[in-house]
This record gives sequence, C-alpha cells and structure tokens, in this order.
Amino acid sequence: MFPTRALYARSVWKGPNIVPLPIVRPKPGERVPPIKTQARSATILPNFVGLKFQVHNGKTYHDITITEDMVGHKLGEFAPTRKNFTYKQTKNK
Amino acid sequence: MVFIFGFNFPEQTLVKRSLETFYGIGPKVSRRIMARFHIHHTEKVGSLRNPQILDLNAELSNMKIENDLRREVQDNIRRLRDMGTYRGRRHAMGLPVRGQRTRTQITTARKLNKMERGGSGRVQM
Repeated sequence: MFPTRALYARSVWKGPNIVPLPIVRPKPGERVPPIKTQARSATILPNFVGLKFQVHNGKTYHDITITEDMVGHKLGEFAPTRKNFTYKQTKNK
Repeated sequence: MVFIFGFNFPEQTLVKRSLETFYGIGPKVSRRIMARFHIHHTEKVGSLRNPQILDLNAELSNMKIENDLRREVQDNIRRLRDMGTYRGRRHAMGLPVRGQRTRTQITTARKLNKMERGGSGRVQM
C-alpha cells in the first residue's frame, strides 16, 4: 500500500506526510481547475484518486492525473526534475 | 540424470548446487529446504532417494520461483513505468534507480535495470 514509505523508511509514528492542499469536491457537471502545488513530498492519499494536480518540478508545473496505483507514492515522483543531456552545436567558434 | 522440478541434473551434482540453479533460490533458501528434508550439504543428486525427490518437487512447486517470480518482478517494474514514476523511467533508461551517482560505476545498473529484468526464463520439461 505504501511502497515509497517502506523504501525511504519514514518513521511509522509520523504517519504519511499530509500536506494541506486546496482540494475541492467537484459537484456533478462542474469542472474543477487542477490543483497547483509545490509540495512534491506530499503523500498521495486514497481520496486524491481522480483529481488533477499540477506539480512543480523546479521550473514548470507538470499535469498529473492521480490513478489508484499512485496511492502511497509522493507527488514529486511523477514530475521529473532533470532534463536529458543533448549536445548543442556552437555557432561561433 | 535426475529430474527435479522439471529440470534435468547430472547425478554427480551437489543437491545444494542444483537447487541454487533455480531463479529465486539462493544459499539461504536452499539451506532451509535441505534442512527440512534432512539432506546433508555434501549430498549429491544421485544419492537422493525417490521420496526425497518427490518431497523436493512438492516443496518447489509451492514456492514462487522461476518464471512466476520473474513475472512478478517484471510486473512491478512495468507498473512503475506505466504510472510514470521516476523509478520506472530510470529502469527504462537502464540507469541507477535509487539516486546513486552516474558519473562513473554504473555497470551493474546497465546490466540489471531493464524492463525485462531477470531474462526470458528457462523452459521447463
């Protein structure tokens, strides 16, 4: 259920890292804007399933839709922070 | 030749060695299995009596080894990849998954961290 928690061995007495996020329950037939957050270390709780998040990666915000599998992971795991190296040709030598 | 769990072993192989050829059985598990059926660690496959072989077969078929285990590991990796996690992406790239340095010394990760970890498996007879 909490694979990340087991991996990084967070103390059990602390419980999951619960961050107060502005979650609004959508009324039927109403669109909710994605939740913009910088809290990458927030644990994904079961009541997040189906919500849309915009997680900061240090530069931009990445769109994430939470599925059932993701429960127990952290938000930051789904927003990559690093760019792949690509060689750029220099124009002026 | 002696059949154990659908695989052929020459009679002069050690029981310990033959058990450890299975994916998912190492020194520790093989020692535990042999202790359960009173097999000495220097015993050869040829000297096993028939009921002992049957016992071993029954024990091995209850365990999660070989292709079942491979499939489980690969499913776990695929789940990470499909979710789009960092760990899944590192597996797909064949790079270290748990934050190790990548400037040097990533031969182990290159060798092991794949989507199809553990290979395609052996054919059971």
